[in-house]
Amino acid sequence: MAILINQKTKVLLQGITGKMGGLHTRYMLDYGVNLVAGISPGKGGSTVGTVPVYNTVPEALEHTAIDATMVLVPPYAVKESATEAIESGVQLVVIISEFVPIHDTAYVKQLAIERGVRIVGPNTIGVISPGKTKVGIMPGSIYSPGPVGVVARSGTLTHDIGATLTGMGIGQTTCVGIGGDPIRGMDFIDVLKEFAVDDETKVVVMVGEIGGTGEELAAKYLEGGYPKPVIAFVAGQTAPAGKRMGHAGAIISGGSGSTASKYAALAKAGAIITKTFSEMIAAVREALAREEAGEKQFLRKGQAVGI
Amino acid sequence: MRLFEYEAREIFVKYGIKVAPAVLVHSVDEALKAIAALGYPVVVKAQVLSGGRGKAGGVRVAANQAELMEHTGQILGLVIQGEKAESVLLSRKIEIARELYAGVTFDPQNGLPALMFSTSGGVDIEVVARATPEKVLTVHLPPTQPVRGFRIIDFLRGSELPSELLPKVAQALQKLVEAFHASDATTAEINPLAVTPEGEVVALDAKLVLDDSALARQQITPRFEAGTPLEARARSMGLNYVQLQGNIAVLGSGAGLAMATMDFVSHYGAAPACFLDTGGGISSEKMAEALRICLATPGVEGVLVNAFGGINNCEWMGRGIANVIDEDKPKAKILVKMRGHSQDEGWKLLEDRSIPIVKFGTTEEAVKQIVELVCPGSRGLQGKGA
Repeated sequence: MAILINQKTKVLLQGITGKMGGLHTRYMLDYGVNLVAGISPGKGGSTVGTVPVYNTVPEALEHTAIDATMVLVPPYAVKESATEAIESGVQLVVIISEFVPIHDTAYVKQLAIERGVRIVGPNTIGVISPGKTKVGIMPGSIYSPGPVGVVARSGTLTHDIGATLTGMGIGQTTCVGIGGDPIRGMDFIDVLKEFAVDDETKVVVMVGEIGGTGEELAAKYLEGGYPKPVIAFVAGQTAPAGKRMGHAGAIISGGSGSTASKYAALAKAGAIITKTFSEMIAAVREALAREEAGEKQFLRKGQAVGI
Repeated sequence: MRLFEYEAREIFVKYGIKVAPAVLVHSVDEALKAIAALGYPVVVKAQVLSGGRGKAGGVRVAANQAELMEHTGQILGLVIQGEKAESVLLSRKIEIARELYAGVTFDPQNGLPALMFSTSGGVDIEVVARATPEKVLTVHLPPTQPVRGFRIIDFLRGSELPSELLPKVAQALQKLVEAFHASDATTAEINPLAVTPEGEVVALDAKLVLDDSALARQQITPRFEAGTPLEARARSMGLNYVQLQGNIAVLGSGAGLAMATMDFVSHYGAAPACFLDTGGGISSEKMAEALRICLATPGVEGVLVNAFGGINNCEWMGRGIANVIDEDKPKAKILVKMRGHSQDEGWKLLEDRSIPIVKFGTTEEAVKQIVELVCPGSRGLQGKGA
């Protein structure tokens, strides 16, 4: 099954005629993505590779159905492009662009909630259901199909975990980069809810980092019970306080947002805590082995799975 | 980016928030000239970005010329939390009947702007919120809908403000919300928002933190906090760099990856010399500069490049690294873990220069390898947990 996207998903690329747009059109087609159209106002009627380009999303919709869009436009153009997609009824909007003003993200997020549309990002690598399709900029070759769901704030860390799992012979149902900004569309909780009801996903790997409260909120949600083992890793154990570590949202401020508080909340919720990837892989292997042995695994309040 | 009070005050004025007459001065001489327009008594306020200036003696009232000279002179030399006051704002002293608090910020839990109000103004609002949470009212304002005046009056009915004050206070709050949106702020705050004996509502302080990602469209030149010279150099290239104390520089193509790599360096017995996140869209020039900054970091003995060709391209990154090897002939050990788009082309550039590469191995394997290269026979192959 996978979550959010699968081989049938009809994908749009907003910003297809940009330098990055052209590059990723090729990568997406190479991966077998059903890339049905691209948008570039003023360039309607042209093509990028084999993909037809339209001026607007409504114009593209006259020619094809669209299930998901990847927004790859300059940061100050994101609000307009995402709003266009949402108002045109596209159900999943993946915003790759970095440095989107927070007021624009807040507006787009709220509009999407009001219209029942899902947003991933901004400042993300996007989403991949390995072997099926991707709405993102990740190199597809480092991911592989299998039973592990991955949700992470950091894009390159998602790559690294995908590659590490793949190298160990463990595939993934879907990997979702929720993005490195303090305000984002889907958060850990939203993705965890999707994985909870996905039959193919047997284990969830959740990758947090310093800053914000997304991990703590997810922990609170998990405390209410979760039908699968959750294996957690939080980056930034050695990050100094008060310094912004690359991502806009990655900062320990006023004693909050540290890995310690996030690990503590997740441990309390019964997630399996790992401090290195080798620990993470070992935990995933064990959880999968138990699953294969027919053991029922789920989180109960105050009771850890797999420890 | 946090603004000085006098800068935030100007933006508040632009959006129609009432403020006390004030003049910014940089010397006692300037203060003596400015006072004619203000008159005594006047409040002399240190212009610093750090909080707690009142407690540090950075806010004083001058009733006459002697006091003005004394206070201005003293405050201009004052260092508050490591920050020297380079200017003071002279602000006409206003009669205060009561002090309120008003603030707007984003609620991290739902991403919505949240308007906060309290009748306990003039003190640290976080202390008020902790001790008496019922005294801080909050309402969320969906950015897809206009902020109506009657909604704010309705919101303020929950406070102990008398009816006759509601319209003017609501007006100030509405303008604050407008300023928050229009200036791309992440925080806009007035503390205290004063009510005069005549019932006028006046902002006696101004706090604005602007979104760094929106400074260009606000046409504001970024002002960065002081850092090391290397941190400044990295920033000018659009690189995220934090200088640390260890011996192994971590150069990652993303923030999370670089942070995790740092964690593993520490886990396997060495210490990170720096954190460098190139961000996306890196050119070979930018990669070269990133590597040079890592190599220039004091105490560095080894550099671990941990990069993915996602939005980036391995050939471009490889070329940047190769250029540094050719031109600088660095002495420190360099190990590159890199894969993704155009990986073969990237690897070839490094192999031609005999740079050790981790092609398919994990980040942990790469970390162990660089630790072993830098400190042979160390705990690198075991790790703290082993």
